[in-house]
Amino acid sequence: MLRSLLEIEGGVRLSLNVALRAGRLARPPIFDSFLRQVYFTGVMASTGLLLRATALGVLVIAIVMDVLNADADLAVKLLLWAVFREIGPLAAGMVVILRSGSAIAAEMAVMRVSGETDALRHLDVNIYDYLVLPRVLGVTVATAAITFYIQFLAVLGGLAFAPLVIDATFTELLGGFTSLFSPVDLFYSVVKSLLFGFSIAACCCYQGLNPPELSQNAVPKVVTRAVTQSALLVVFINAVFAYIVYGILFFGLVKAKV
Amino acid sequence: MIRARAADEVRDALALLYCRRENGSAELRVAVPRGGVARARMPDRETKSRFVSAVLEAQPSDPGEELELFGESTANLDARDRRRLRRRVGVLTPGLRLISNLNGWENISLAAAYHGSPPLERVEALARDTLRDLGADPRALLARLPDELGSLERKLVAFTRLLASDPDLAVLDAVDEGLRAGEVSLSRRFEAQYRSRRPDGSLLHVDAERDPA
Repeated sequence: MLRSLLEIEGGVRLSLNVALRAGRLARPPIFDSFLRQVYFTGVMASTGLLLRATALGVLVIAIVMDVLNADADLAVKLLLWAVFREIGPLAAGMVVILRSGSAIAAEMAVMRVSGETDALRHLDVNIYDYLVLPRVLGVTVATAAITFYIQFLAVLGGLAFAPLVIDATFTELLGGFTSLFSPVDLFYSVVKSLLFGFSIAACCCYQGLNPPELSQNAVPKVVTRAVTQSALLVVFINAVFAYIVYGILFFGLVKAKV
Repeated sequence: MIRARAADEVRDALALLYCRRENGSAELRVAVPRGGVARARMPDRETKSRFVSAVLEAQPSDPGEELELFGESTANLDARDRRRLRRRVGVLTPGLRLISNLNGWENISLAAAYHGSPPLERVEALARDTLRDLGADPRALLARLPDELGSLERKLVAFTRLLASDPDLAVLDAVDEGLRAGEVSLSRRFEAQYRSRRPDGSLLHVDAERDPA
């Protein structure tokens, strides 16, 4: 319990540190590191996601059509409300945790254990500036980009597949989708994906820089903790954010009817 | 009064003064004159490691230690003053590793690129000249990651990184350790390099008696 509280406090402190130091991103080695992180998290993940993201939309439509025997209207609503708003950002979050979060936690833990973070301190290079800031901001930006990429491919896959199982053309479904789509949907998923990326990277950096012991044995423990905590964090943020935006913000406080 | 002033003058003439007393053992004293070269042989590796870490942190690590850098006691310094003193000291020790995901050049130039000084062109010239003078091929060495370098090459890059920080006091920790029989003493070559760039700088070679097996 105490350890969990300390971790929350440490994570919040790290996040505030990153927010306060954001202006230092312009320094050349930090900006280089930021670009490298965007490349590793965003660009390198994109090729592997092409097929999987498309299959995601296809699968959702295929299963739901089969189970609910739904029509074109419901297919479009499912693509927007389930795939675009919820599954897309969640899938992007999970991809980032598995690909980059684990790598960041392991890299940081190895640097900490091997004394590289001490070397940075003795070079008078702040580890928050050089290690944490570019990774957190890089992962944040890349997560938003991957989210948009997955949403686009999943919706496209769903729209392309749906005409095979229901009585509607691709153009009709696309028209239905665009008429139902509002800027709030885009805003909602962009903000949510930025929050996901920030919290994943901050959690993984925190765990990596605070291994339970200074030995190589600590590295796998750090990665396990970072991945599980990041996943929990993403699910928690998703639930809270959905409730705030589609609960309180647009429909007022949800009250139980007795 | 006169004796106190004389003691102050002696202290000011030193770049480093380190004393360590332990119950039942002789006092350990290391003094490096400003602008001079000194050698310190520690009784064992643990003592050496404690000394190096005190110098690195500009802070005594236990109550039996006293450390003065450039005539200034490090006992009750605030974080800012400690950092200022640390900046004036460069330590080459196996504990201060190269950053594994940066190549040789990035390791050498990281501090300069981060702080914005000295200019990268100057660091580049320094790296090229130093490595060439030390008999290495700068182009091959600077482009490789630390894991792709041998232990001698890693020491060359780490030493060049130390030179790039232009320290007033350089501490070289057991640089000849692990060299093969045919390899020329690195400490002498490093000393000559440091002297040629900082004629007024102070240098300390430190090593330890071999621990009993």
